[in-house]
Amino acid sequence: MLPNKTSLAPPGIAGELSAQRLRTTRPSAAALSVLALAAGVFLILPMVLERHAVDLLVFCGLYAIAGAGVGFLLGQGGIVNLGQAAFYGIGGYASAYCSARLGWPAPAGIAIGIVLSLAIAALIGQPILRLSGYFLALATLALGIICTNIYFEADFITGGTLGVPGVPKLAVGGVIFDTPEKFYYLVWPIAFATILAMHNLMGSRIGLALQAMRDAPDAAMVMAIDNARLKLWIFMLSSGLGALSGSLFAHYVGFVNVDSFGVDKSILFLLVPVIGGASVPAGVIVGALFIGLVPELLSTLGDIHRVLFGLALVASVVFFPDGLWGLGRDLTGLVRRRSGATRGETTP
Amino acid sequence: MLFTQALLAGVTNGFVYALVGLGIAVIFKGSHVINAMQGELAVVGAATAVFAAAIWGLPLWLAVVAGALTGMAIAILVELGPIRALFARRAREESFLLLTVGLGFTFSAGVLYLFGREEHLLPPLGDEVYEVFGAIIREHALWVIGISAALILALRLFYRHTHLGLSMMAASIDPDGAATTGINVRAMRTATFALGGLLAALAGLLVAPLIGVGYQMGPLLTLKGFAAAILGGLSNPLGALVGGLVIGILEAMSIVFVSSGMKDAVALTLLIVIMIFVPDGILGRAGRKGG
Repeated sequence: MLPNKTSLAPPGIAGELSAQRLRTTRPSAAALSVLALAAGVFLILPMVLERHAVDLLVFCGLYAIAGAGVGFLLGQGGIVNLGQAAFYGIGGYASAYCSARLGWPAPAGIAIGIVLSLAIAALIGQPILRLSGYFLALATLALGIICTNIYFEADFITGGTLGVPGVPKLAVGGVIFDTPEKFYYLVWPIAFATILAMHNLMGSRIGLALQAMRDAPDAAMVMAIDNARLKLWIFMLSSGLGALSGSLFAHYVGFVNVDSFGVDKSILFLLVPVIGGASVPAGVIVGALFIGLVPELLSTLGDIHRVLFGLALVASVVFFPDGLWGLGRDLTGLVRRRSGATRGETTP
Repeated sequence: MLFTQALLAGVTNGFVYALVGLGIAVIFKGSHVINAMQGELAVVGAATAVFAAAIWGLPLWLAVVAGALTGMAIAILVELGPIRALFARRAREESFLLLTVGLGFTFSAGVLYLFGREEHLLPPLGDEVYEVFGAIIREHALWVIGISAALILALRLFYRHTHLGLSMMAASIDPDGAATTGINVRAMRTATFALGGLLAALAGLLVAPLIGVGYQMGPLLTLKGFAAAILGGLSNPLGALVGGLVIGILEAMSIVFVSSGMKDAVALTLLIVIMIFVPDGILGRAGRKGG
């Protein structure tokens, strides 16, 4: 599903789907062992890393959750969403307001944030998803800026620039998630579950319909696929994940203000799938780690790190259209093909 | 009086939005790419002029020329490098958008790194203050209006009557046909970007004496320019002027009647409404898909 392949000779939808199926449903032994190794490393990391590094990884997890929504829109729907920070903000403020100001239990705030996001996404998505391409992308960017404006002005809820301090720590069944290490074990399982759910969604009827809609919209329409409704669903899904991530962020940091929900955060959430690779849900893990860790590594170089970060994005758009995940897949594919070829020569 | 004052400010801003929108329209017309870094190019142009004057001590007119040429040079480099690479790959529309968004982010980070967080002001073209219907208008604002109007007119003449302008149009409308008549289609696309970059930098240079130009104002400027461009019709320079004036005046009225904090929200809501309800009259069915 590399863009250059599709543009040269677009394969039939059926061919592409069956190839997709084969790739997704038959993990090899090597893949499984890599997966097991990754799981082990994941479990051990907070115990061996210093606190600051774990803190960064928690943020990576938050980016993965919000970015997974944007990535699904981009990879499965071909929709560029530059407004995810709006929903991240709705989640953040809902949690902060309900638990810090009203004293409600945390799940209530999280649920309100998600429901509110879904409702707003349904309401706004209805008209703006009629747009496509550039128009839709710029509409979402405008939406993000409008929401930042509203957060700024509605200071009776959001506290404006002063923000909402004193958001209590999250507690589930007696465990209080008050350290980066504990929060790590909360946020990453949620991120993995999200990605797994999207992976399954891709193989479902809805996922297949989405691919048909993206690759051959006219044919999809003939097959009675309701494009408008599908787009609205995945837009709502994406915004719900944005709200969930925002709620977790509020409880983790304990403080929210308008600076956390600006346009730069929307761009960041879009970068997660763009850099990681949007064609596979798991790509957002790579993207989130890149977004969360690379600026930190570069920050030792001083203020230039934002420029380098921007250039990294530009380079990934130009050179790796399928993100780092796609790059890795191409490289392993190359290695496998080459080793297969040599084996073929030695055993004729 | 507050009303008149807001109206004058709105008209002045409207001309600036028109110039930004014009640059977006020029690039879209010539390459079917929506340039999402137009606002950042304006910021880069203005910041370059400010620092050329302040640090290297160049005379103001030379600093302004340097700023304008910087905007143009960056746009040319962007076209020669990444844009061509994406065209060669036949990348999809979203790739072009991500590219220009990423470049915009990079430029705004570059301005932050080189020139700092504060807002930069250029000296105005004139210090006089005039009174119009009980409101005041600065001499520089009149210069902004006059120069923008002249630029818009010149652009119209350029596209209608010069060999280069007609070649650029032909290369965009029918690349194969243009190539058979000996037009270098790729060079025309570069020229298109050069013109767009120049217009962006000029917009930044004109507005810098009125409001400080900061590293983070790019996206908002791009969006308002884009709103002006599609409201007026992406293919018609005079249309961008009308669009810019509508956005500028509406924004000014929302300061008077709603609240000053909501002016961007009002302008951007208008953008969304325009895109949904009057898309075809503006860009034409064939042009809407872009890429």
